[in-house]
Amino acid sequence: MEYLVILLLLIVFVQTRIMDLKRSIYCLSLQALVIAIACLVVGFEHAEGFEAIIPSLMTLTIKVVCIPYIMLRLVGQITDETEIKSNINVNYSTAASALFLLLSYMIIDKVLPATAARDILAASIFVILTGLNLIVMRRRAIMQMVGLITMENGIYLLGLMMTEGLPLVIELGVFLDVLIAVVVLVILTSHLRLSFKTTDTNVLRKLKG
Amino acid sequence: MNLLLLALIIYCVGAITMLLPKKIELMAHYIAQACAIVASGLVLYKAAFYLLMPSEELLLDTGWGVYTLQADSWSAAFLCLTGLAGIVISIYAIDYAKAFLGKRLRILGGLWNVFLLSMVGVLLAGDAFTFLLTWELMAVSSFLLVNHESEKKETWSAAFQYLVMTHLGTAAIMIGFFIIASGADSLTFADLARSKISPVMQNIAFVAAFMGFALKAGLVPLHVWLPNAHPAAPTHVSALMSGVMLKIAVYGFGRFVFQFFNGFVEWQGILVLVIGLISAFLSVLYAIMEKDMKRILAYSSVENMGIIFSAIGTGMILMSIGYGRLAMVAFTGALVHSFNHSIMKALMFMASGAVMHATGSKNIEKMGGLIKYMPWTACFTLIGSMALAALPLTNGFVGEWLTLQGFATLATRADGHLLRLLAAAAFLLFGLTGALALGCFVRLYGTAFLGKSRSNIVEKAHEMPFFMLLGMGIETVLVVVLGFIPGPLVETLQGVISGGRFNTTMADNFGIIWGGTGSYAIFSPILLGSSLIVIFLVIYLAYKIGGSFVYQDVTWNCGTYPTERQQYTATGFSKPLRRAFSFLLKPKREAIYLRKENAYFGKQVQYKLAVPDQFTERLYAPFQKHLVMTASVLRKIQQGSVRLYIGYAMVALIIVLVWGAM
Repeated sequence: MEYLVILLLLIVFVQTRIMDLKRSIYCLSLQALVIAIACLVVGFEHAEGFEAIIPSLMTLTIKVVCIPYIMLRLVGQITDETEIKSNINVNYSTAASALFLLLSYMIIDKVLPATAARDILAASIFVILTGLNLIVMRRRAIMQMVGLITMENGIYLLGLMMTEGLPLVIELGVFLDVLIAVVVLVILTSHLRLSFKTTDTNVLRKLKG
Repeated sequence: MNLLLLALIIYCVGAITMLLPKKIELMAHYIAQACAIVASGLVLYKAAFYLLMPSEELLLDTGWGVYTLQADSWSAAFLCLTGLAGIVISIYAIDYAKAFLGKRLRILGGLWNVFLLSMVGVLLAGDAFTFLLTWELMAVSSFLLVNHESEKKETWSAAFQYLVMTHLGTAAIMIGFFIIASGADSLTFADLARSKISPVMQNIAFVAAFMGFALKAGLVPLHVWLPNAHPAAPTHVSALMSGVMLKIAVYGFGRFVFQFFNGFVEWQGILVLVIGLISAFLSVLYAIMEKDMKRILAYSSVENMGIIFSAIGTGMILMSIGYGRLAMVAFTGALVHSFNHSIMKALMFMASGAVMHATGSKNIEKMGGLIKYMPWTACFTLIGSMALAALPLTNGFVGEWLTLQGFATLATRADGHLLRLLAAAAFLLFGLTGALALGCFVRLYGTAFLGKSRSNIVEKAHEMPFFMLLGMGIETVLVVVLGFIPGPLVETLQGVISGGRFNTTMADNFGIIWGGTGSYAIFSPILLGSSLIVIFLVIYLAYKIGGSFVYQDVTWNCGTYPTERQQYTATGFSKPLRRAFSFLLKPKREAIYLRKENAYFGKQVQYKLAVPDQFTERLYAPFQKHLVMTASVLRKIQQGSVRLYIGYAMVALIIVLVWGAM
């Protein structure tokens, strides 16, 4: 489990540094793969047989395969803007993430002192905050979607650790929500591209009354 | 099935007519008004029957889920006046609203039913939740009715102002209810009456509730919406708003004061009395300055609500200083005046609608001599004006007489000098108010109906169709009958106040007697009327026998024939008052001298006069300015960037996490 946590932290840190759309989505897929493995581990700790595999199987299909596939198709459409710029330096994102890592360990030590799952809980809070940070610091709509999914991964991981396996119905609902959110965001993004010829969300300022 | 519930269903049916197809618009209108008339008739019948045959049971006690419907005799009194006004104004609306043919007439008819339904609903509500729900329905439906001619900019802005103000009022009432409910088991009125809250909280609840109801009743300084909203609405709507909706505020205030607060507190009574007196005096002063017929009536409504509230305040003071039996006269006065005012104000609004219908204008400066073109309307307006000016022999006098007796009782019974002084001041202000009201309606009637016509819009004036005359006629008859024979009404409403506990009645068939001041005061319209007839007969006979001569000629005017431009204008008529009260009114006068081509002959003068509402100018406008300034400062955080907003959320999240961890 500790190795998984270290791997996850590493992937998320890398995520903050990637500015290329496709690589960022591959990274997201990798991130979800780690979550799926963590899910499998937790599943075998608390249940047996097929039920233990279902959540991890679903994470695998939806987050590792489906969502990156949809997003990659969208990126394929956006051929005319290969240049990826952000007005905030990537170093700031990474530095902020480092701060968040400290902060999440402090919070976990204060709220749940001497818990067994200290590392993984802190990591999940770190992932949530970093995802949020990605949304705030990136201008491109697709990068913001990546941030949203990262945040969602963090929340899912936190839920998994705190409850030691959610009921199946709730898991289904969560996955459906994420899938729908991504579909809607993809539609919105392609509309944004059609209307403004760019996926830079700064153009939305024009909508202010 | 209970007839009141049946009435509610019929109102709903009337409301549904707004969904009928546009082809049968006129039919939908007839159905809607018929529903309103039948349902209001049921309400009136049931409530009047309950008041005349008092019984131990409640008029209505039913419920559905969390919604409770209950009606006692206090509700029944107001149900009576709602039903009566509902019938008469709906009859009037049959013909009047035809002017809106093709201009969303179906919506007008449907909302008319919704409005009536909501007002009956407020009166029937048996718990705070139902009360607030129906109260809000009333606010929204009346807003939509005021906004009916939304193409006009002034209508739209008046309606919007009304919506904002009325929601502030609802918020205040909600605060009142919730503070009381914090010490009660449930939200039903019976439980709220047993609520245990500390005196401090009770005072806060009282102030909140008083503010909310005063706003709906249009008391100064919360009246600013009223003179704008009433002229903007279609006339039958303003008649219903002024005649009934303002009384619903009295009902709600009475519900709080009589049922929810245990015991009466002296300063609360003084507050209500003083606010009521100031409202009555200031608004009649503004009424006499206005040229718009419906604005005059709107200000007059504020005046009358002031009178009603000052009567309630007097009663509250009398209760708090231990003269519970004597407080009856003031409370009865408030109730009687509410009832009578709903009749006469509906009549006067209907008459103003008739004049607007005939001339197409609300400005009385353009009228004059209407009596020749519309004699019936003129007759009804005269009687309505007399009632609103509170002349004896009309019903407008009865409630004011009782209120004055309340003041007199307070003045003789109060122990402290300050209370006596207050009662004396109340007397003075009340007298001044009455005199100004008389002047105001002499001015209104004289300018609009008498003299020579001031513009050609009068010449195309015509008498009104049958149903409009019928509506006004019924109210006129009621004004006269209730003015001549006030006894039964006063006796019935006194029963409502005393709950049948006191056996002494103030009224008999000849008039009203009140002995609370130590000596007996008697008001007997029949005696007064017959003595007036005798006096007139004597004078008439003296002239006849004395052989006086009548010789008709043109008015002498320095050798020239008088033209219509030489008669008193409405503005001129009120000039002395404008000067005398200039320290209050602060009129804005502006004279611009425009020179003609010839420097030596005749200068052209442009003269502008405006009497702006000082409360709007001094209180609301600065407040609004500061609000807008604050908002524009706050608008800096609204940058239109989604990322920034998510950034706010992130900062908040981190702060919450850290704070939670601390």
